[in-house]
Parts: sequence; structure tokens; C-alpha cells
Amino acid sequence: MKPLIRIVLFVVFFLALAGILAGLYMYNKQHKDLLKEKPDYMITSVDLQKAFEENESTAAGKFTGKILEVSGIIGSAKQGEENTISVTLLTGSDFSSVICTFSSSISVSKLTAGEQITIRGECSGFLMDVLLNNCVVTE
Amino acid sequence: MKRIILLSVVIFMFLGASAQKFMTKTGYVGFFSHTPMEDIKGDNNQSASVLDISTGELVFQLLVKSFHFDRALMEEHFNENYMESDEFPKSTFKGKITNLSSVDFSKPGKYNVTVEGDLYIHDVTNKISVKGELEVLAGGINATSKFNVIPEDYKINIPGVVREKIAKNLEVSVNMKYTPVESK
Repeated sequence: MKPLIRIVLFVVFFLALAGILAGLYMYNKQHKDLLKEKPDYMITSVDLQKAFEENESTAAGKFTGKILEVSGIIGSAKQGEENTISVTLLTGSDFSSVICTFSSSISVSKLTAGEQITIRGECSGFLMDVLLNNCVVTE
Repeated sequence: MKRIILLSVVIFMFLGASAQKFMTKTGYVGFFSHTPMEDIKGDNNQSASVLDISTGELVFQLLVKSFHFDRALMEEHFNENYMESDEFPKSTFKGKITNLSSVDFSKPGKYNVTVEGDLYIHDVTNKISVKGELEVLAGGINATSKFNVIPEDYKINIPGVVREKIAKNLEVSVNMKYTPVESK
């Protein structure tokens, strides 16, 4: 009988420890490092915007929450309201673009309008523009 | 000839109307929750907003998925458990400045405003009235505001296990830097 209790106690203790460690791991889980993460889709800014304009719900289902690698031509690069940089990529539409938001400190001066760029970011969906978050420049 | 007149009338109307409208697509909306257990902050730097200074109408739109948190797990819980952002991806506010006459848009300076309207979060719409500040600048208008939102008012259920970690009353901050809508 005694060894059985000992085994049960050991198992319970082990499970509790595993639970605490798993909890701590989840709690401290880091955001995805987009420079290392493989993109789910590689697409041009023109095609991406077109997909949302043609059928927003289909495109949202496909792209939202996914990591996209988007290449396109820089329309503008400017400081956002609170220490972020927003880069817009040109599309086929005059009123709707792909807006890429950088949380990290990249300098706007390196980003010139009219230049070709490839940006990796997490797609939040479509408002008036396609929105990409947590962006990094891959080339 | 008729066509040219019509075209110029349309262009004139468009120019006339556009001078009254101000816009941003990179506006900031954030919220802060403080409890003795934990501080939680969510930042959204992709909020779009239009301000019409002739009528005082204000519209805000944002995607719930654009909120960013320090901890990946918080972002996940926020989207999946509380805001259900796959089902309800957008939040909006549509309202009006109620004391528009006290703002002189031709004179740079800071003006206190009251805004009333409908706040739509998590498929629930509530009437709210908040105070804010407009700063009229030479090339645009800055708008800031701080107000409180109670998650329960928007049927956002927070389970008992984490209830102690999330404030009953969230402080929402708004910071918009509007520039005039230019016609192309």
C-alpha cells in the first residue's frame, strides 16, 4: 500500500509542477519574431488590396491573422500618432492602400516614396486600407 | 460645353466640401487596465477617423485585431475570449461635437469639446458622452480624449479566474492627428 501512495503523490506532484511550468511558459510567451517566422502568403500590394476590394469577407478569412510578405512601391512613410512608423504601399486604387505599421524604431529617412520594398507583417484585416501590424523590412 | 460646366461644378463642390473634412488613418486608440495584480495596456495605431468641422461630425473606425499588447498571451485572450474579433472585427464610434460654436477653426489654439454619439464594441452599441480637447494648428487638427469604458456594458464576459486581473473600468485614450482631406 505504502509504495502506491508514494507513486500517486509523486505523479500528483509532477503534474502540478508541469502545470505551473506550462502556465509560466504561456504567460511569458513572446510575440512572433517576424524576421524568423515563415510568411503564410507572399503577395504584391496590388493583388492584396484587390483581393479585399473584390470580396472582403473571403479575403479576411484567408489573410486575417496571417503573416504576409507584401512587396510593393512605397507611397508614403510617416510618423504615426504615438511613436510608430506607418508606410503605405501603392495599390491599383487611389483611395485605398496597404498600411504597414512598424512598432520598432526604423528611420523614415531610409524609406523613400517610389521605391520598391518588401515588408513582412501580421494582417489585421481591412478598414479602408489593408492593415499590417508588427511589420519588419525583409530586404 | 455643358459637360465642362457640369464638370467644373462637380469639381468646385468637391473642393468646397473637402476643405471642411479632416482625416487620419494612423490614429491612436489605447486602453489601460490597472489592478493590484496586473497592469494591462493595449495599443492600436491604425485607427481611422474623419472630422467634419462644418457639422462637428466625428467618425472613428478600428480593427480589434490591430490592438497590440506587451504579452502575446494577452493579445490572444483579448481577441479570442473577450472581443471575439473573428466574429466582430470592427469597432466604431459615430458622434458629434455638441459645443461646436465654441471652437474657432480659423484660430490656432486649444479648445475643450464634448462629443456625444454611439460607441459600437463587440456587437453592442451604447450612447456615450465624453470630453476631449481639439488643438487647431496651422496644417491640421489634433484631437485627444480620455474616458472610461466598462467591459460589462458591451457584453464582454471576463471569467472569474482572471476577473481580479482586469479592471472593472478601463481607461481609453484617443490621440488623432488630422490633416485636411485633399482632393486629387
